[in-house]
Amino acid sequence: MILQLRDISKTYRTRTPQGNVEALTSVDLEIQEGEVVSFVGPSGCGKSTLLNMVAGLLRPTTGHIVFDGEPMTEPSRRIGFMFQQPVLLPWRSVRKNVLLPSEVFGSKSDEMNQRAEEVLQLVGLGDFLGALPQHLSGGMQQRVALARVLVYEPRMLLMDEPFGALDEFTRETMNLELLRLTKPTGITVLFVTHNILEAVFLADRVVVMSPRPGRVAGIVDVPFGEERAIEIMRNPGFTDLVFRVRSLLGDTPGDDSMTSDLDSDRESVRW
Amino acid sequence: MVIEKDLPVPRATESGLDRDERERIATARRYRVGSFLVAVAIFVLWELLPRSGLVPEIILPPISSIAYALYTLVQTDFFLDHFLVTLNEIVWGFVIGTVIGLAVGIVLGVWGGAKKLFYPFVVAFQAVPKIVLAPLLISWFGYGQMSKVSMAVVISFFPVLINTMVGLENVPRDMVRLMQSLRASRRQIFTKVELPAAAPLMFAGVKTALTFAVIGAIVGEFVGAAEGLGFLLYTYNFQLRIDRVFSVIIILSLIGGILYFFVEWVDKKLIYWRQD
Ligand SMILES: Nc1ncnc2c1ncn2[C@@H]1O[C@H](COP(=O)(O)OP(=O)(O)O)[C@@H](O)[C@H]1O
Ligand SMILES: [Mg+2]
Repeated sequence: MILQLRDISKTYRTRTPQGNVEALTSVDLEIQEGEVVSFVGPSGCGKSTLLNMVAGLLRPTTGHIVFDGEPMTEPSRRIGFMFQQPVLLPWRSVRKNVLLPSEVFGSKSDEMNQRAEEVLQLVGLGDFLGALPQHLSGGMQQRVALARVLVYEPRMLLMDEPFGALDEFTRETMNLELLRLTKPTGITVLFVTHNILEAVFLADRVVVMSPRPGRVAGIVDVPFGEERAIEIMRNPGFTDLVFRVRSLLGDTPGDDSMTSDLDSDRESVRW
Repeated sequence: MVIEKDLPVPRATESGLDRDERERIATARRYRVGSFLVAVAIFVLWELLPRSGLVPEIILPPISSIAYALYTLVQTDFFLDHFLVTLNEIVWGFVIGTVIGLAVGIVLGVWGGAKKLFYPFVVAFQAVPKIVLAPLLISWFGYGQMSKVSMAVVISFFPVLINTMVGLENVPRDMVRLMQSLRASRRQIFTKVELPAAAPLMFAGVKTALTFAVIGAIVGEFVGAAEGLGFLLYTYNFQLRIDRVFSVIIILSLIGGILYFFVEWVDKKLIYWRQD
């Protein structure tokens, strides 16, 4: 077990008329090393809040987070964080963006340079080492962000709707890439999304969260192996899982509707 | 900051220009020709109106006599001295003002406590029309260049200060969170993210400061000086040598223009990632 969440809750104190916002209550969760766990839930149910707490960027109001046997109190360099936006530094070339972590760690060296180039080759950006981020497409920028976090080999990767801003085809490609890049390394991945298909496709387990205050509404195990291709979406078992997740979400949409992602979806999924 | 060269910039067409591109260039050329014709028209009117007597020469001398006045002015033995005095005041005022603006802006932008403490005074000072300080500065620092430099400093440091502060306050939050997730030190966050992220806005302030420094130096000379282009302009105006007044105005505009293009050029080199 690499990560343990014990009775986590988070209440934001605000001075707005609404008063305090209870974002999460009593979340209990255990995550095994090497697992890919996706989190789905309506917008505003506290997914980002949860991820930020796991990253050590935010303190839970109650409860404990134990990462690799130690209580989590501040960010750890064994955890990588990826945002919905690529958050590249526009004044740095692709290569230098990927070298940012090693500069911060003070481990700048020829070896790191080499490693950065290898990882960029791996994500398919070997020809763009010197390019500035603004000359890359959204998908390519997110690849750079992925390379930037993979380069320092964290044991756990936290991703907050990382492909949410990409178009459907690019997102699909990125999903496959993510599996291809992370599976061999045995890295643990926590993946937040509001796309149910994506959640099921990527994960070993899908954690479904209820609307605010967020709680774990249920957990769906995904029994597909590590080798996954887009074709598994045709599998009746896949469709069943999608429906299980959907029914756990219930018919109480959050701040915005969850259904839109499904309604506009590909033909291969039949209802 | 290292600039990586030879960036692969995606191009719509590899060889030759497509029709849209050609049309765009043709349109641009038409407007350039148009602007040139407008300039010619202005010059012709400028020459003819005073010559025909429709406008008295004492108000607007014909452009040819201004050109001649300029030509004789730059050949006088005193011109270069006045020119250098004013240039000196502008450059020092600009440099000192920029340094102060950057320093104070960084302190206020990075350190919340300092901002809470001093920002009310900054706002109060902003409300003062800085020009009114000119007589005071002359009585403090005397008739010489010092008072002109301080006038230029007083009005030019402000845009730098404000832009620096605002730039630092508007660093994208996710960039800072990214650095925090890497456990970067406060200093690393500042040098690797905050400073470069704020640089485009800072530099916009620096450009404004340059224009303001020119104004500051000239106003200082207007209020009380025995040398400098502002003094020269004032004196010629008093003597009703209007053609010479215009000559000095042209020189001052040239100084402003050349300095501006220089800063613009530095800006392009330094903020190489800026997108129009
Ligand atoms: N810094 C904050 N201050 C106050 N309320 C917040 C803050 N961050 C998030 N919230 C509230 O907490 C709830 C959960 O937010 P979030 O974790 O971003 O949800 P999700 O990522 O699932 O959309 C939302 O209602 C949001 O408005
Ligand atoms: Mg979120």
